Amino acid sequence: MNQYARMIIVLMIISIASGAVLALSYEVTNPTIQEQARQKLEQSVLTVIPGATKMEEVQKEDMMIYIGLDDQGNKKGISFKAIGSGFDGPIEIMVGYNPKEGKLLGIEILSMSETPGLGARIKEEAFTKQFKEKSAEDEFTAKEDVQVISGATISSTAVANAIRTSLDKIVKIYPVGGDF
Amino acid sequence: MQLFKDFINGIWNENPIFKMVIGICSALAVTTAANNGIAMGLALTFVLTCSSILISLLRNVIPAKVRIPCYIIVVATFTTVVDLFMKAYFPSLYEVLGIFIPLIVVNCTVLARAESFASKVGLARATADALGMGLGFTWAITLISMIRELLGAGTLFGYRVMWDGFTPWVSAILPPGAFIVMGILVGLINMINRKTAKDTHSH
Repeated sequence: MNQYARMIIVLMIISIASGAVLALSYEVTNPTIQEQARQKLEQSVLTVIPGATKMEEVQKEDMMIYIGLDDQGNKKGISFKAIGSGFDGPIEIMVGYNPKEGKLLGIEILSMSETPGLGARIKEEAFTKQFKEKSAEDEFTAKEDVQVISGATISSTAVANAIRTSLDKIVKIYPVGGDF
Repeated sequence: MQLFKDFINGIWNENPIFKMVIGICSALAVTTAANNGIAMGLALTFVLTCSSILISLLRNVIPAKVRIPCYIIVVATFTTVVDLFMKAYFPSLYEVLGIFIPLIVVNCTVLARAESFASKVGLARATADALGMGLGFTWAITLISMIRELLGAGTLFGYRVMWDGFTPWVSAILPPGAFIVMGILVGLINMINRKTAKDTHSH
C-alpha cells in the first residue's frame, strides 16, 4: 500500500475510534454530571436561606435567581450568585437575601483560589457570618462596616464589593419591602 | 523475571519523579494534600496503562511518520474518559484535581513511555512497565504531598496529627514548598543510591 494512503487511513481510523469512545463515555456520564451540578447548587441555596427545603429557579434580566421555599411552599427568601475578583482569580459567592425585610440571610463562598491560610479564610464562618442580617442599605465598605481578615484585605474587600454590586442589581428587580 | 524487572524499573531505578524528573508540573501543583497525590497518581496510572497497552498492540500498524499524533489521540481519549468519569462519580475529588486531569495529556511520562518503550515491546512488557511507572509516580507524589500536608496544614489524609498549638508552615502548601520538598527528596534518594552502589562495590 502507498505509504501516504496508509498514514491517512490509520490516523483516520484511530480518530474515529477515539471519537466513538468519547461520545459513549459522554452519554454515560453526562446525566450524572448534570445532576451533581444541580445538587451542589441546590445545597448551597438551601444553606444560605435558612428554613428553605426546596428551590425554584427564575431568570430576571441577566440574573439567575434561586427562590428558597419551605415544606408548605412559603417563600423564605431568594439567593443569587455574586462574583468578585480576588487576589488570585474570581471569587464566586452565593448570597441569600430577604427582599421583604431588605436583609441578607447568609452567604457561602462557592469557589475561590485565594492563598491558603490567608485569603482562603474568607470561606470560614468567622468571616461569612458577619454578612448575616446586613441591610441592603449598608455600605459594605471594608474596614468600616465589614470586618476584614488580617493579612487578607484584598480577598475580604473583594467579597464585600461583589455582594454590594450584585445587591444593587437585585434591589432594582425586587424593591425593598416588596413581594418576591 | 523480565516483567518484574520492567515493573521495578519504574518504581525505583527510573522513577519518573525522583530519577528522570519528568511530568513534574502536575506533580508539583497537586501535591498540597495527601489525598490529591494518591488520586492524581492513580489517574495517571490508569491513563498510562491503558494507552501503553493500546500503543503496544498497535505498534506494527501505526506508520512511523504519524506515530506522535496517534499517541496523542490515544492518550487524550483515555484522559478525557477519566475526566468525565471523575466529574460524574467523584465530584469532590474533581473539584481539586479538575484542572490537572486534562494536563495528563501533555504529561511527558505518558508520551515518553509510549515513544521509548510501549511502541517497541509486546503487550505484557508494556503493561508491566506502565504499571511500574504509574505506581512509581504515585508513591513519589504521595510522599511529597504527605510531607507538604503535614508541614503546611498539620494534617495527614485530612486527619489532624500535629500537636495542638502547632503553627502550620503555610509556604509548604504554596508553590515554593513543592520545589523545596521535592528537591530535598531527590537529594536524599541520590544519596541512598550512592550509598548502596558503594556497598555492592566493596563486597
